[in-house]
Amino acid sequence: MNRWYPEALREFKIVTLFDLLLEYLDEGKIQLDKSIHAVATGYHDPCNYGRKSLKEFGQAYFEEGRAVIRACCDDVRELNPNRNGAYCCGAGAGAWAMPYSNERVYHGRIKARQIAESGAELIVTPCQTCRDQIMKSLVHEFDLGIEVKYILELVADSLILGGK
Amino acid sequence: MMYEFKVSEMAEEFGVHRNTIRNWINAGTLPAKEGPGRKYLMEFHEYERLCKKFGREPHLHSVDNVSHRTRETLAEIDVEPLSISGGKSILPEDPSWADECLTCGTCASACPISGVDGLDPRKIVRMTVLGMDKELIESSWPWKCTLCAKCEESCPANIQITSLMRKIRGVRDRARVPEPIHKSVTMCLERGNNLGIPKEDFVVLCEDLGEELAADECPGFKTPVDVHGARVLITVNSKAVFGEPDSLKWWWKIFWAAGESWTLSSEYWEGVNWGLLSGDDEAMQTVVGRIVDNMKRLNCRVLLLPE
Repeated sequence: MNRWYPEALREFKIVTLFDLLLEYLDEGKIQLDKSIHAVATGYHDPCNYGRKSLKEFGQAYFEEGRAVIRACCDDVRELNPNRNGAYCCGAGAGAWAMPYSNERVYHGRIKARQIAESGAELIVTPCQTCRDQIMKSLVHEFDLGIEVKYILELVADSLILGGK
Repeated sequence: MMYEFKVSEMAEEFGVHRNTIRNWINAGTLPAKEGPGRKYLMEFHEYERLCKKFGREPHLHSVDNVSHRTRETLAEIDVEPLSISGGKSILPEDPSWADECLTCGTCASACPISGVDGLDPRKIVRMTVLGMDKELIESSWPWKCTLCAKCEESCPANIQITSLMRKIRGVRDRARVPEPIHKSVTMCLERGNNLGIPKEDFVVLCEDLGEELAADECPGFKTPVDVHGARVLITVNSKAVFGEPDSLKWWWKIFWAAGESWTLSSEYWEGVNWGLLSGDDEAMQTVVGRIVDNMKRLNCRVLLLPE
């Protein structure tokens, strides 16, 4: 976008899901019920929102996702290493759809180990591909016995809708 | 793993004369090399093979847990020695990489799939520097790599390994790009989204989902499609539309709760740009351009990108 349509950037703003979610939270537009997810919750840093965003755009989204999760859950755990040093889920860059599934699962072994070590019962991530890899593949391949949610799913499920 | 032995010990073990062992070594029947201190070295599995031939239990067992059979399989799949053409590579972003890469292998130890197909990021950088473009483009390794940038993050010389990997993907003949990715890119260019979902189907699905949401949790909800002047335009992942349509409602529910003014576009709503993954800048630009057009057409002020 920056490269091909610089003039368009002056006409409108581009936001990530974090920007909108935090805007709603900061302005009190949405209310969340923390009792719905009263379990140990781990946050997985997707490469594209973290390390790669930092390289490409000079800005990484490490804390934003954690802020959103803290608004939904009390017990937030870290997977180590995290943030800029985080390990990839194993399904990025098309690997989820490509025919190299053995390599994809092999890649994911580190993520699976991190999840097991964290003691989290719920893993939340703001990337749909990471969610798919962890929820539909790693949980079964490595018998993790955990729940996985996309960050929007977590927020949508925590919403207090009364009074509208 | 290597096995070290003395000729006299081995002669005793197998009940033959010392000279017989020496003859075997000289004739090559026993593939051993002279080592330090009047000892000989051979591959441990050669020793095991010899024991098998004589029907004896090895007096030592290998200390790792790799079985003999596995090791034989591994030996079989060992990669062919690579030959260097001396040609100049078109792949590096910067010719000084040849000097800058310290060959330290930090990238290889950071990479979760180092060793797959006998390759790792360090070898890929070396192959590039050595002008082995043909082998790199043929290799499936850059496609098994998830472009996670763990290698690049760890590199003390700041070699742009991830962009190199994407470039290797990009110069492969388009017909040989792994099927699912190639199909998605062409489908998106021709039909507007990665899975070729027709406009009518998409609109009907969105309306139905909206009605469901209104009935279940959000009274009065109606899916906004092509609403001019809405504040936020959102894009959608075609995979979610096809496989998990209920997941679309997560955002919708949040928007409803927050009282947001937002809209979907009935056309060119795809939010996943796989030109990024196949290394195809031209396709990527086209798809981005369509979203820019949507923003203008619908006169929205904020564009929400999914990932």
